[in-house]
Amino acid sequence: MHKIRVLIIDDEPDFLETIVKRLMKRKMDATGVGSGEDALSLIENESFDVAILDMRMPGMDGIETLKELKRKSPLTEVIMLTGHASVESGMQGMQFGAFDYMIKPADFEELVEKVNQAGERRRLHEERIQKS
Amino acid sequence: MLTIPPSIVFKGYLFAVPALVLALSLPLFAFGGPVAAILAPIVSAVCYFTIRSLLSQISIVREEKCFLDEQLIQTQKLAAIGELSAGIAHEINNPLAIIAQEIEWARYQFDEERQTETSSAELKDSLNEIAVQVERCREITHKLLDFARKKDPLIQGVEINKLIEDMARLVEREATQKDIRIIRQYCGSLPPVHTDPPLLRQVILNLLNNATYAIGENGTIEIKTRILSGSFVELVVSDTGCGISKENLSKIFDPFFTTKPPGKGTGLGLSICHGIVVRLGGRFAVESELGKGTSFFVRIPIFYQSREVK
Repeated sequence: MHKIRVLIIDDEPDFLETIVKRLMKRKMDATGVGSGEDALSLIENESFDVAILDMRMPGMDGIETLKELKRKSPLTEVIMLTGHASVESGMQGMQFGAFDYMIKPADFEELVEKVNQAGERRRLHEERIQKS
Repeated sequence: MLTIPPSIVFKGYLFAVPALVLALSLPLFAFGGPVAAILAPIVSAVCYFTIRSLLSQISIVREEKCFLDEQLIQTQKLAAIGELSAGIAHEINNPLAIIAQEIEWARYQFDEERQTETSSAELKDSLNEIAVQVERCREITHKLLDFARKKDPLIQGVEINKLIEDMARLVEREATQKDIRIIRQYCGSLPPVHTDPPLLRQVILNLLNNATYAIGENGTIEIKTRILSGSFVELVVSDTGCGISKENLSKIFDPFFTTKPPGKGTGLGLSICHGIVVRLGGRFAVESELGKGTSFFVRIPIFYQSREVK
């Protein structure tokens, strides 16, 4: 079974490191970057099944990153993550194509479940495209 | 009622009736004598021509009805498009008007050849305002494209209660700040539902957001889930908010209909939600009482069946 490729975008280095390590332990191919800009340049050369995106980062903000991510890599499913739960940004994110939304501190098991669901969706999407 | 095509029924009568009457008149001739034998064909001829003319009238009326039905559908379609276009035009006109104002102001700054510090600051402000209004327009067109683009749902197995709870928790933080309680009544025995999770999340989030807006401050939102007649799941979002008036009730699913002040919300939310629920094979209903509150009912099938839309 193909390993899910996950890209985590978060400006908190401790959080980033922990998540990447734990996801790797769960047999996922996890990579972490510290900003929206870094994420966008990374996806020029690499493709990911799922992205976990922190919505409040300095520099390029979450919604902008989400829009660009979906534009450049529409099949990548994005899970929004934030400590500041805002209904407004949740709704906006869903509108711009985010798959799901999690509030920090995120329960790790829940996160894994969502990543799996997102990965499944990506696979279904690809299959549908191949069929047509 | 007639499932046999009318033309076949018609032809049937043309041949069957005279044949039947002739067949019946033969024994009459044998037993009833010459009078009956003469009467029978006359009666049969009268019957035959009466029935034939009746049937041809029916045929003509049916054709006319078909034609009128098609006309009606076309007219309704055009009316709907007309309404939608008017809504779009109106929505975009407002930001455009503001942009026009800002441009005029900016030109004024240049015309007077006053290259002072304040005029630079004014220009910057104008440009910012124009950017804001352009973004507003972009959001409207984006939502419209979304609305028009019939995205086929991608079906996955979903734990409905969990999906709703996630969205409820998102809304709850802001809701409690306004003294709004969210009460959950999840059905414990819900099976996994085969539907499109992010589409459903959009609907739930929209409904919860509307509920908080309707309440304003101090109130309750109730979320209920249950199984309906074995193959549907029903989600109900109720609020103790301002309610919807009878006249508005029939309009709330119309695109661009909104009771919010201009600039706050485009009025596309519920119409998009309605479109989503229909695409998921479900039904979307509302009950409301002015001053008391509103309940939205979302019913979706447990097993998604794609609808062939011609």
